[in-house]
Amino acid sequence: MRYALMTLIAVSLAGCTRAPAPVADVVAVVSASLPSDPADAAWNAAPEHVAKLLLQDLVEPRLQAVSTPDVRVRAFTAGQEIALRLEWPDATINDLPAAGRFNDACAVQVPLKPAAAVPDPQMGMAGNGVAISFWRADWQATVKGRGDTIREIYPNALIDHYPFDAPSLEKGSAAQQKMATEYAPAEGAGNRRGGARTTAVEDLIAEGPGTLHPAPAAISRGSGVRTPTGWAVVITRPLPDGLSPTSPSQIAFAVWEGSKQESGARKMRTGWIPISIREDQP
Amino acid sequence: MARVYNWQIGREMSYWYPESRPKKQFAAVFDTNKCIACQTCTLACKTTWTSGKGQEYMLWNNVETKPYGSYPLAWDLKLLDMLDAGKWAGSTYQGQTIFESAAAGERVASWRPSDDDYAYPNVGEDDCANQIDGGASFSLPHMAWFYYLARICNHCTYPACLASCPRGSIYKRPEDGIVLVDQGRCRGYQECVKGCPYKKVYFNPMTGTSEKCIGCFPKMEQGLQPQCFVNCIGKIRMAGYLSTPDQARPDNPLDYLVHVRKVALPLYPQFGLEPNVYYIPPIHVPPMFLRQMFGPGVDAAIKTYRNAANDDDLAGLLGLFGSTEQVMTRWVRRGSEVAGVDDRGTTLVRVPLKEPVVERAGFDRVYQIMRTNCP
Ligand code: SF4
Ligand code: SF4
Repeated sequence: MRYALMTLIAVSLAGCTRAPAPVADVVAVVSASLPSDPADAAWNAAPEHVAKLLLQDLVEPRLQAVSTPDVRVRAFTAGQEIALRLEWPDATINDLPAAGRFNDACAVQVPLKPAAAVPDPQMGMAGNGVAISFWRADWQATVKGRGDTIREIYPNALIDHYPFDAPSLEKGSAAQQKMATEYAPAEGAGNRRGGARTTAVEDLIAEGPGTLHPAPAAISRGSGVRTPTGWAVVITRPLPDGLSPTSPSQIAFAVWEGSKQESGARKMRTGWIPISIREDQP
Repeated sequence: MARVYNWQIGREMSYWYPESRPKKQFAAVFDTNKCIACQTCTLACKTTWTSGKGQEYMLWNNVETKPYGSYPLAWDLKLLDMLDAGKWAGSTYQGQTIFESAAAGERVASWRPSDDDYAYPNVGEDDCANQIDGGASFSLPHMAWFYYLARICNHCTYPACLASCPRGSIYKRPEDGIVLVDQGRCRGYQECVKGCPYKKVYFNPMTGTSEKCIGCFPKMEQGLQPQCFVNCIGKIRMAGYLSTPDQARPDNPLDYLVHVRKVALPLYPQFGLEPNVYYIPPIHVPPMFLRQMFGPGVDAAIKTYRNAANDDDLAGLLGLFGSTEQVMTRWVRRGSEVAGVDDRGTTLVRVPLKEPVVERAGFDRVYQIMRTNCP
């Protein structure tokens, strides 16, 4: 609702100036500040690029039929950062983690380092990697306050007892936390895929399909909201190495449609799209 | 796809990776005839490994009543429906495995359970066990037979879970063939949950990763059998290591049962994974049903098992089931006694072929009291 209202205001304001024409490549407009809210009317001042999504067709499992056809991208840059808003159509909200259920998600991919030849657009290649900022709808729901219990997913779930909730263990004590971690092996291994989170975005690096791993530091932030027709997600990250007002670069996007059981390699993605910085407002 | 040899189907087949057998292969024999569905094994596993958040409906070990029971729901029927009913020519499977019948873009032929499919383990599956009144006839949909099928991960030689993972997060340990999900690497794509035909990988919504039976490897590393084995009330289970048929050693209890006597058979060998939990088939179930589930060796296995009372070696070895927590890598029969032995040749346990029977008078003259029938 709020998004619709904002769009309405933005459209009427835009009546005073000219809405920027769609662009063939991704253009990041230099701005004093970066809007972090996907519903911010300021986004209307950035030109929109409609990126056609293609099937992931390099490795099995592959998608066999197009799900999400395209993703609309607008971008601003300020200082050493770039903010991108991705919008795509999606009739269903898929933001619950569960067996057989998958989450809506999107990602922004840039070359890890400036290189004469860009890496392979599908996850990069050995020695010529890619940096990825990945957003997931269930993480967003958790950031917005959804609780971290099985009853958030299954309100009628039967729970007899968790050993780490035994009365003999002082709540929050080191012993209690140690035992809880023993029953959450991924967390014990430092691989936090579920549970409570402070951000809906994670930073990753890949050097080819199947090599995706966490980046050394969290450098991206972002948030997503529902729009009347799908999702709008803003991802803000440092300007990719090699992208400046005088030097264009390449960028790629991916979208996962949870209702179609897409995750990992089952995804829609773009090829590399040229990205440039434009200093003057249109 | 590579070409690999699968002895359970008597031929080469396609697999995602080249053949790479572990130094030794964790394996087990379950005697279905002795299972009483007490679910002690299920609870032994649950209390040890899956009492955490997100594991509420996760049973690495489950026991289901066949033919109606299944966890997750219809796990085998759905796959059997997808696959052509391939024929066997003797001990060679002529149909297609799940690797060979994978659709374009897929790594294996498989289906994905919904979360509901895990929600009702054991509900309603024993209904055919009702008492049938004398004279009444019960013929539809089948005669009144059923049996209990205890299931854990098969730690397959050609795991479909491993083949399904696009990022190599599942590995088969070279030292013992136990198949594990690397919890530091899994990203929760659930491809393995879909790919495993036995549906023995589970997605944990709270950790966001997939989890599975670990063959109690911390115990196996110490020469101890897994929790579901040592707590088994029916003493139906034996864990150890299995050789390939050409390397079979009659003094290895599992080799003896699987390769020498061929009394224990793999579960759905036609799927093509070379699963390493072997079942002594139930002797009172229509063989047609069992042939589909355990392959063409069913009739001979049942014949051998039925004759166990006259077969000191077989009866003796079956007596070693559930006799010790330790892994018996060797066994020996000396006259009317069998012994479980470890790698170093140490005798771990001795069991008589026939338990001595002592009959005591009803009245205890020393204590001047009637004896009751308690053991
Ligand atoms: S039974 Fe399933 S989970 Fe276990 S090793 Fe085989 S394919 Fe993997
Ligand atoms: S503990 Fe043994 S007898 Fe009881 S259900 Fe499990 S396998 Fe069957």
